[in-house]
Amino acid sequence: MSASQSAVRSRAEAVQVSRTFDWMILFTLFTAVLGGYHIHYMLTGGDWDFWTDWKDRRLWVTVAPIVSITFPAAVQACLWWRYRLPIGATLSVVALMLGEWINRYMNFWGWTYFPVNFVFPSNLIPGAIVLDVILMLGNSMTLTAVVGGLAYGLLFYPGNWPVIAPLHVPVEYNGMMMTLADLQGYHYVRTGTPEYIRMVEKGTLRTFGKDVAPVSAFFSGFVSIIIYFLWHFFGKWFAKTDFISDEAS
Amino acid sequence: MKIIKDKVAKLSFVALLITMTAAMFYAPTASAHGEKSQAAFMRMRTIHWFDLNWSKEEVPVNDTMTISGKFLVFKGWPETVDKPEVSFLNIGIPGPVFIRAGSWIGGQLVPRSVSLELGEVYEFKVLLKARRPGDWHVHSMMNVQGGGPIIGPGKWTTITGSMGDFVNPVTTLTGQTIDLETYNLENTYFWHAVWFAVAFAWLLFWIKRPMFVPRHIAVSTGKASTLISAGDKKIGMVFAVGTMVIVAASMGTTNSKYPVTTPLQAGLLRGMKTYQMPEATVSVKIDDATYRVPGRAMQMTMTVTNNGDTSVRLGEFNTAGVRFLDPEVHEDETAYPDDLLAEEGLTVSDNSPLAPGETRTIEVTASDAAWEVYRLADLIYDPDSRFAGLLFFWDENGSRQLVTVDAPLIPSFI
Ligand SMILES: [Cu+2]
Repeated sequence: MSASQSAVRSRAEAVQVSRTFDWMILFTLFTAVLGGYHIHYMLTGGDWDFWTDWKDRRLWVTVAPIVSITFPAAVQACLWWRYRLPIGATLSVVALMLGEWINRYMNFWGWTYFPVNFVFPSNLIPGAIVLDVILMLGNSMTLTAVVGGLAYGLLFYPGNWPVIAPLHVPVEYNGMMMTLADLQGYHYVRTGTPEYIRMVEKGTLRTFGKDVAPVSAFFSGFVSIIIYFLWHFFGKWFAKTDFISDEAS
Repeated sequence: MKIIKDKVAKLSFVALLITMTAAMFYAPTASAHGEKSQAAFMRMRTIHWFDLNWSKEEVPVNDTMTISGKFLVFKGWPETVDKPEVSFLNIGIPGPVFIRAGSWIGGQLVPRSVSLELGEVYEFKVLLKARRPGDWHVHSMMNVQGGGPIIGPGKWTTITGSMGDFVNPVTTLTGQTIDLETYNLENTYFWHAVWFAVAFAWLLFWIKRPMFVPRHIAVSTGKASTLISAGDKKIGMVFAVGTMVIVAASMGTTNSKYPVTTPLQAGLLRGMKTYQMPEATVSVKIDDATYRVPGRAMQMTMTVTNNGDTSVRLGEFNTAGVRFLDPEVHEDETAYPDDLLAEEGLTVSDNSPLAPGETRTIEVTASDAAWEVYRLADLIYDPDSRFAGLLFFWDENGSRQLVTVDAPLIPSFI
């Protein structure tokens, strides 16, 4: 078959083949992103996402958006500039969260028996949707980075609050006050995660009194902007097509 | 050909990623039996656990048991391990088969990390509530920042019943009693389901139309602007605004439903109450110590002086949780784990009562298979080949004295 001949004989057949391609590419992309993003997020966000007694109002709020805006930015760069598909961020985040839920349910609960209410993943969807819509409406990387990145950071804590708040109800336990989340960490023994490696409320934000969550969220948003730019470039570079000259011909 | 090669390369990459993801899934399941693989000097010269007691050997689900005892923070703490300035009293079990209902050092609750002083003895207790049926090896354990987990002796304990019956009721400061085992679970599933639904709706809106090939053709022929219609933009706006409305509204209702919330609690506890052992009136000087590899025995020549006013006898040598006893002086009545107990493992060349004021040089041999089983003999391959342990002497009235020893060890291979 020479290159000038078409592989399909009719328009209908072409449409069908194209659609098959869609599903194949989408499936591959979804799985690849799930794998890569999951590993990345476990290595960088790790314990902050595993345990409720790490999900504090300062470091979790700061770290989770910064390390999780990476793949959304890169996949957006590919899907938007090449296909004008504004689903890069949502697709990445759905893949990640699906992978995490499988991991938490099958392993943390199914294998090691940590209760799911102690090890569920963080919710990253609100920020991802806003990120996708801003890119679609603005058709601009800079705008998406600045407005979207900031929004991504700011939406994280409130987006998780309905699930986290009930665990921040205080209890008195043998003469000490702690939250239910702290108590989960104390009750459900983790031999490899001693209390002192828990990064909670460390750092210097004391001057903001008790309103540290919004300050942390803003800080996280600002850093997310920078990370967005960086990973958007990674994505663009990764998605570009290079033609290598064939010396032999 | 090249295309096929590329495809194979691409697919292998995908396969690699999937494999790596799958591998990650197994990461947190490693079980908790590191006791024998831990370097011998770590177990001999850091935390000495003694007077240990596991209150039960069989516990039904929802019932409690305790592990209690004392630990000595060794004065000759090895240079290669960080000092226990930030430590956490833990429990060595394979996952949450028990829940830790309470843990105390010197009577103080220790859900936090603590600062320990070298050379001091502390009394501890851990209250465990049975959760998952099975036979579990239950260890005392101390995590030391920069030093890692220091595992104490373990004993097999059986939990009977069914995990489905396990409950963990807790009363909050706002007055509700909840079951921490399942608390907030439905709420978590609900919100995650809501957001997954929103995300899927957005994805579906785009995925249901032709995607990659036609859209790529359009973009590369300069017709990119035709791919996003005014209607698409409107729907996009609805999603973005809707997202922010749901976030704001759910945050509002959450705050009115849970008006009282506090930040996570953390911190370091200092000045832990120490346990005062009776003042030792016996002094011990190690003249030399050898480990005989073929005989699985340690021989110490020591000069013992009794400065007290009653005569004493050596009854026990304890190192890394392995106890060598002279049955004529002391017998164990605490059902200490068999594999860690050498009931007749201690022989003393002359163990007649040492009178007040008397000094005597004795040959002490501690022999048991435990040296090999617990890989304590590996100590001779350590960078700092010293041994350490606790000697217990008993006087005529049956009161006990504790003397620590810390000396170089010479292996003997013949
Ligand atoms: Cu064990």
